[in-house]
Amino acid sequence: MTPDVTQLRSEAQREASRFPALLARAEQLAGTVLLGEHGRRRAGLGDDFWQYRPLRAGDSYRQIDWRRSGRGDEQFVREREWQVAQSVQLWVDPGASMRFSSHKDLPTKAERARLVALAAAILLIRGGERVGLTGWKLPPRRGDVQSLRLAELLSDEGDADYAEPEARGMIPNARALFVSDFLGDIDAVEAALTKAADRGVRGVLCQVLDPAEESFPYHGRTIFESVGQTMAHETLKANELRARYLERLAERKARLEALCRLTGWHYQCHHTDQSAQSALLWIYRALDGEHG
Amino acid sequence: MTLFGTIGFTAPWLLLGLLALPILWIILRAVPPAPIRRLFPGVVLLLGLKDDEQVSDRTPWWLLLLRMLAVAAVIIGLSGPVLNPENDSEAAGDGPLLVVMDASWASAPDWRARMVALDGLLSRAARDSRPVALLRLTNPEPVQFLSADVVQTRITGLVPEPWAPGEDTVARAIGMLPEGGFDSYWMSDALTREDRAPLLAALEDKGAVTVFESPRSLYALEPARFEEGNLHLTLRRLRPGPEAEVTLTGHGLDPAGNAAVLLRSGVTFEADALAAETELSLPAELRARITRFEIEGNRSAGAVTLPDDSLRRREVALIAGREDREGLELLSPLHYLQKALVPTADLLDGALLDILPANPDVIVLADVATLSAGEEDAVTEWLEKGGLLLRFAGPRMAASDISRDAEDPLMPVRLRAGGRSVGGAMSWGEPKALAPFTEDSPFFGLELRDDVTVNSQVMAQPDPNLAERVIAQLTDGTPLVTRKAVGQGQIVLFHVTANADWSSLPLSGLFVLMLERLAVSSSTSAPEAEDLEGTIWQPVTVLDAFGVPQDAGTLPGVAGEDLVSAALGPDLRPGLYQGEDRSLARNVVTAETELAPMVWPDRVPVEGLNRPRETPLSGWLLGGAIALLLADVIASLALSGRLRGARPSAAALVLAALALTPLDAQAQDATPDQAADDVALAATADVVLAHVLTRDAQIDDIAAAGLKGLSQTLFFRTSVEPADPMGVDLETDELVFYPLLYWPVTPGQPTPSAAAYAKLNTYLRSGGMIVFDTRDADVAGFGGNTPEGRKLQELARPLDIPPLEPVPQDHVLTRTFYLLQDFPGRHAGRDVWVEAAPPDAELIEGMPFRNLNDNVTPVVIGGNDWAAAWAMDARGNALLPIGRGFTGERQREIAYRFGVNLVMHVLTGNYKSDQVHVPALLDRLGQ
Repeated sequence: MTPDVTQLRSEAQREASRFPALLARAEQLAGTVLLGEHGRRRAGLGDDFWQYRPLRAGDSYRQIDWRRSGRGDEQFVREREWQVAQSVQLWVDPGASMRFSSHKDLPTKAERARLVALAAAILLIRGGERVGLTGWKLPPRRGDVQSLRLAELLSDEGDADYAEPEARGMIPNARALFVSDFLGDIDAVEAALTKAADRGVRGVLCQVLDPAEESFPYHGRTIFESVGQTMAHETLKANELRARYLERLAERKARLEALCRLTGWHYQCHHTDQSAQSALLWIYRALDGEHG
Repeated sequence: MTLFGTIGFTAPWLLLGLLALPILWIILRAVPPAPIRRLFPGVVLLLGLKDDEQVSDRTPWWLLLLRMLAVAAVIIGLSGPVLNPENDSEAAGDGPLLVVMDASWASAPDWRARMVALDGLLSRAARDSRPVALLRLTNPEPVQFLSADVVQTRITGLVPEPWAPGEDTVARAIGMLPEGGFDSYWMSDALTREDRAPLLAALEDKGAVTVFESPRSLYALEPARFEEGNLHLTLRRLRPGPEAEVTLTGHGLDPAGNAAVLLRSGVTFEADALAAETELSLPAELRARITRFEIEGNRSAGAVTLPDDSLRRREVALIAGREDREGLELLSPLHYLQKALVPTADLLDGALLDILPANPDVIVLADVATLSAGEEDAVTEWLEKGGLLLRFAGPRMAASDISRDAEDPLMPVRLRAGGRSVGGAMSWGEPKALAPFTEDSPFFGLELRDDVTVNSQVMAQPDPNLAERVIAQLTDGTPLVTRKAVGQGQIVLFHVTANADWSSLPLSGLFVLMLERLAVSSSTSAPEAEDLEGTIWQPVTVLDAFGVPQDAGTLPGVAGEDLVSAALGPDLRPGLYQGEDRSLARNVVTAETELAPMVWPDRVPVEGLNRPRETPLSGWLLGGAIALLLADVIASLALSGRLRGARPSAAALVLAALALTPLDAQAQDATPDQAADDVALAATADVVLAHVLTRDAQIDDIAAAGLKGLSQTLFFRTSVEPADPMGVDLETDELVFYPLLYWPVTPGQPTPSAAAYAKLNTYLRSGGMIVFDTRDADVAGFGGNTPEGRKLQELARPLDIPPLEPVPQDHVLTRTFYLLQDFPGRHAGRDVWVEAAPPDAELIEGMPFRNLNDNVTPVVIGGNDWAAAWAMDARGNALLPIGRGFTGERQREIAYRFGVNLVMHVLTGNYKSDQVHVPALLDRLGQ
């Protein structure tokens, strides 16, 4: 056996060993949310029934539930929100910019993004949804094995500094969850969201930022480099740049938010020093709200 | 060397380098601080942002100043600055240098400082290539000029002597002065002495003389005196000064025989007083044990005094035959003895047998004729060990038959019946006087007084050995005092009474002296030279100049008269000398010793130890430069943002680390108690499962891995979030912290001790659960005759275990979390035993289970090797294969579920046994 193969195998082993850990953490995280939402979630599961509502103008006759309507004079429509399992497609930024953490105690943005996305995926899978990735790599499917595949694919890392949202392979009227720092080209995001909106896909945009990116606590003469080291900016007084940087960041956030409003998405900014649970809860609610 | 005030420079030209500083300033000012590189994903947002001003890259002025100071400090440091440089021109001279040293006991306290000063002097002499010679006045040796560095190698061996230079030694020293001119450097001990003038004159003849004196005050201690039952000690000092407190210590052997400080007392010198006196009241036992007094912190023979026998007080027991004549004190047989002995001895009073255990030095029996047999044996035994029995005759003894026909063991001689009286109204002749003492008598040399007469006495029977036992007799040759040795002790009989009835001896001063000679009492006055003429005294302990007592070893004996009167010197060292029956101390300082500071003539320059020392400053300046450069590093880092920004708390971390250091230090020397506390904290902060260590490493590892797997499972599936499991040693570890104890049974494991079983029973009674796992369900049903089964029976026999039964179908263990009917581990045996249900438990109609015990079952016994099924590695992968394929995984899953149920059962007790849960359970059971 050549050394290359040995090395490849040991690396593969090492990489593989991370999935159970990520998966376990994500499952535990998911478990914490599940506790609170237990009953409702289970009750809405599955197949048939959500609620009866009176027939409204515009409903087709085929929708009328005759058994219920036969008991009275009014016609009722049986709402079937859950009859068709939703497809939820994830996109987690694989870009190098996500592999950044300003403090050794903080997780990198990529770690947090994966964790949150996978936990949300597990929740959704348990809720009976089909979850997959945008693009062609992993179409939405059900079942516990899917979370394993997701864990594997989410652990892939890209080389590019800033990755563009993957908007291909979107299933019409599906749901989507984009997790990224959205520091890259905003036009690409806009294009992706517009494309999604065109297909009736709505979803959630979760921006994961490091606290240092939010506060810009730098001083003195500094050369800032992107994580992939393709970009650099030198300044003599970093602290002087702070106000303008924050302005630009706020502008970026406002743009994202406006974009989301326009396309019917939800936008949230999450920081890596906050608990992952809060982000998960929000994502879960945001996705959940869409079902309602 | 160039001098600027008190600072001199060895390389002053280097100072020109300071001129380069302004240039450096300009250069440094032009160079901006280096940038730091930082990873920052938000850099896209920064692109295109311009800095407002371009001047900010200049190094700030204070940082420049810091660097300038550092560079200046380096330049000045390298130019060799010296504070208070020795001015060579003064003490100068090129010729030979003679160092004269008193080297007496008074030089000892600051001997080290003197040696340092001498070393400096020799270094300078070596620099100037001057030959040097040393001359110690206490022990002069021929002067020989040598190269200074040769002398320098010898000074470590120089020690002072415990005496002062006397006239003869100084005369010898003068005789040894070499021919030719030389300068002298006199290291004086600052005491004034007659003999200084001639030596000074002799030295001044040869060349310049410089005197070196220590400015420190010298303390001295006079010998202890014993007055009115108290010890008096006088401390003196050389120079009057402010009020000062010194500590006086008494050293000796403690009752265990170890050297110890028996006494410590502060003594205060009044301001301007030269002497201070202290009075110590000590119990006789303690006083007798003190072997030396010294002034603490003064390493000098003058600050030490050795007490001799003069402080020792003998214990004398006085016993009289007749105590019935109350009120007639002057006629009491003991009255005169008491008067004679009270100043110098401690008197004991009481019955003979009560006194003997106190081991008195002397027992006086005044007119006691017979002793009981028991008393006699006891006294004899005491005599053999060195006691002195002093007997006085009297009417009773004269009337008794004691020692009449045969010599009584406690009498020195046989007595004739009746005794005699002379010179009385009814008898002829004059009262008899004492004859002069013969040479072999202990009383030899005492002066006879005419007024001592004897009227009555008991008479000794003439025997062959009578002559050698008489130590005093009357003029007519009749024995007055006789003596006999018994073992190491002796018996002395005065043939007269101890009161004035029979003779006037007890009234005279001679009586006291005789008692003293017999060592009944000890003298308080110092002996005169004449008294000691012809005696030889052997040194026992001698003092060195630092006041440290040393064994005298083979030092020769000293003649008595010299011991008292001669000056201390090599032949007569201060110390303790042992004579025939007493010891004498010769101390350095006595009441007569004159302590006065020497006043040198004005023409002689006097140096002191407090002269400002030559201090090279280079080290300080270079060190300061390094400190400044370090400060510059920190300031530069701070300025370029490396201390802040990404790690805003770096400085705080450093501070915290500093603050935490003592805590860490404390943590390091953690005691076993603390270690136990740590374990207890770790075990109780979270739920911790535990397994019993079997001393079989493989089994223990699997048990640990199994419990870890179970803990993980609990963590992910339930609200129980256990910490890592622990292994417990039944013998040493506390058990109460653990809700569940997993005990893999191996045939080879040791049976716990009785104490461990007591602990286990307490644990079981207080709600703990032990899971016994024999791990043999593959080969044996439970109760089968496997080695593990037999071991389990052996292990469990002393345990307090209730009746057991196989887990019934409705046991709460089947439904505490999961609904289970099987409890597989690595094996899927059926038999798992738990505490039996109470016999009156009945199944109520319509209910799926009985109302069973309220308790948690204290033991669960099975053989399914659950730990192996639960075992997980660090990544959470199963460690051991279970069964085959999917069924195996299913079995593992059920094993996990059993584990979860088990822990839930331990933690929640019979909660799921409550009938409240029936509907929900029925629902879940699908009924």
